[in-house]
Amino acid sequence: MQSNRLGWILLAPTLVILFFFGVVPFFYVLWLSFHQWNPFALDPAVVYNGADNFRALVFDNGFLASLGVTIAFVFFAVLTELIVGYLLAQAFMKEFPGKAVFRTIHTLPLIMAPIIVGSIWKLMTTPSIGIIPSLLASWFGFDLNIGTSAVAAFTVTVIMDVWHWTPLVTLTLIAALVSLPADPFEQAQIDGANKRQIFWHITLPMIAPALLATVFIRLMDALRTVDEVLMLTGGGPGSATRYLGVHIFKEVFPKTNYGYGSAVSIIVLYLTIVACWLLYVALIAPRNKKA
Amino acid sequence: MKRQRTWLYLLFWVVVSFLTLFPIYWLFVISVKPAVELFSTPEVILSSVYWKNYVDVINDETLRGYMMNSLVISTGNAVLVTVLGFLACYALSRFDLGGKESIFFWTITNRMAPPAVFLLPLFLLLTQVYKFGDFTLLDTKIGMILVYCTFNLPFAIWTLRPTIDGIPKELDEAAFVDGASAWTVITEIVLPLARPGLAVTLILTWVFAWNEYLLAATLTNFNARTLTTGLSEYVTTTGTEWGVMAAISMFTLVPALIVFSLVQRHIVAGLTFGAVKG
Amino acid sequence: MTRTEPQDVETPINLYEEQEEGRQSPFDRKARDGFLPIQTNWFDRVFISVIIWVALSLFWLRFMEPAGLPLTISNVVAVLVGVYIVWKG
Repeated sequence: MQSNRLGWILLAPTLVILFFFGVVPFFYVLWLSFHQWNPFALDPAVVYNGADNFRALVFDNGFLASLGVTIAFVFFAVLTELIVGYLLAQAFMKEFPGKAVFRTIHTLPLIMAPIIVGSIWKLMTTPSIGIIPSLLASWFGFDLNIGTSAVAAFTVTVIMDVWHWTPLVTLTLIAALVSLPADPFEQAQIDGANKRQIFWHITLPMIAPALLATVFIRLMDALRTVDEVLMLTGGGPGSATRYLGVHIFKEVFPKTNYGYGSAVSIIVLYLTIVACWLLYVALIAPRNKKA
Repeated sequence: MKRQRTWLYLLFWVVVSFLTLFPIYWLFVISVKPAVELFSTPEVILSSVYWKNYVDVINDETLRGYMMNSLVISTGNAVLVTVLGFLACYALSRFDLGGKESIFFWTITNRMAPPAVFLLPLFLLLTQVYKFGDFTLLDTKIGMILVYCTFNLPFAIWTLRPTIDGIPKELDEAAFVDGASAWTVITEIVLPLARPGLAVTLILTWVFAWNEYLLAATLTNFNARTLTTGLSEYVTTTGTEWGVMAAISMFTLVPALIVFSLVQRHIVAGLTFGAVKG
Repeated sequence: MTRTEPQDVETPINLYEEQEEGRQSPFDRKARDGFLPIQTNWFDRVFISVIIWVALSLFWLRFMEPAGLPLTISNVVAVLVGVYIVWKG
């Protein structure tokens, strides 16, 4: 084996780029979050102000409202995706003609740019040009207006996310279901277990690791949903769909209050890390059970 | 009995596929209608096709520029991260570097951070810190190519690692014994064997870079604006030119779909980020 | 030429190796059992402490500081909790 110097040389460009565009920004934003800095204010200096930014943050109603709708959005979207994705994955376990074609079609939304998904759903749901409001109005007399109704806007963003990301859940769960051994199921059937018992006592525990891994990925992505919501509703009406990413982009970033903006960014990162870490622990804990 | 069940599944999947495809079809419908027809009752079946929206987009010099920017940035970025990821994976796989598994894990975590968090620091760093005289990286194609490395480089390393690990070490060791240089070994022995994995990585990272919006929207003004930002810019400035908006969306969508069809079979593992080994 | 098995990529899960018998220093690199519900190595415990410190500080800023209790108290508490977790967790 040659010297390790060559190895480090090959690795160096990667490490340098990730250092300057991944590590430095992190420590920079962390440092800024303890400072007051608004380059366009009367006093444009960078001044250390301790925890003042965070002190303002915990009383910032805009931020707290955004946090609330984000949690609601992630909960409803990920839950729906799991249920629908599981049912679709089960439906893929049977043989039927054209399965590969249907699978390809089902995968299509995954490859689409989030902003295009937002644009598509805007065209689907905007009153007067969208097909959904017009169908709802003529069939049920229901008036869907995502520009004025907070509930409607929130629901449409959830449906959009489900449309976009359920295929991912389906694909991972198909992979998990395919790799399951057949014996326990046959044994359970011999023992006369019904479908629901089989699901709760055999299928669910066996696919639990894959399920958790899927939740992990989806949670991470759902927490950073920005593009499609920005396109569809722009965060409105009011703050109904102003999820954390949208909040940073629309409210925090343009205000040039960089110290405070850094504090918001740090807390969003903190919440993401905590959420993912908890799931990660849930993922590995069962495999490291104490004897 | 069995036959009936098959038909039920088929029917079920036709319905699901319809729900998946209809929004895309609707985008197409809007894009081929003149503005005056949009506000009458929405019609699902097209009676006539009107291509002027597409012509308008192609004739728009600004949008054409954005399209070129998107092409240059995503291609440049995809090539860069595939090459660097390939070299990094080769190093991680073949050399006994101290703490290399920690390095591997750390690079992956770079991709997990929400981009919104990095808007502010990256913007400030690009404007204030990373500058050479008068030259800043803000609103340059090279700047965007480097910034996109933050999420694409970890992905490339992550997808290429199994490919490189799967190439027998004995092959390059034997070549080294024969006196070949490191360059020869990498380009003439490892590279050809890793080609399928490299192709998939190249295509997926290209799509990710092509699809990116948030960072492009904050870190570019005009010279390096991409098509995705052009789309949102168009919506905010004109508001109700739905036909043209749909046409721009189609222009953004179609390249990704074409590229997708090339690697459709390999793509699943990449997209699911290895959650489950299928 | 024999084909070797692909080298096993160390997954994060492998970081939590089976612990050895006997007493360990809190900064031993091996994972071990403590009062926390999972096996942790020292880095995990420092990480948990930092997470708790941030959470406690935010809670304090919102609810305790307006009542006249300065942030210093929460920092002291957080450091004590952190030391305890790193030592015994």
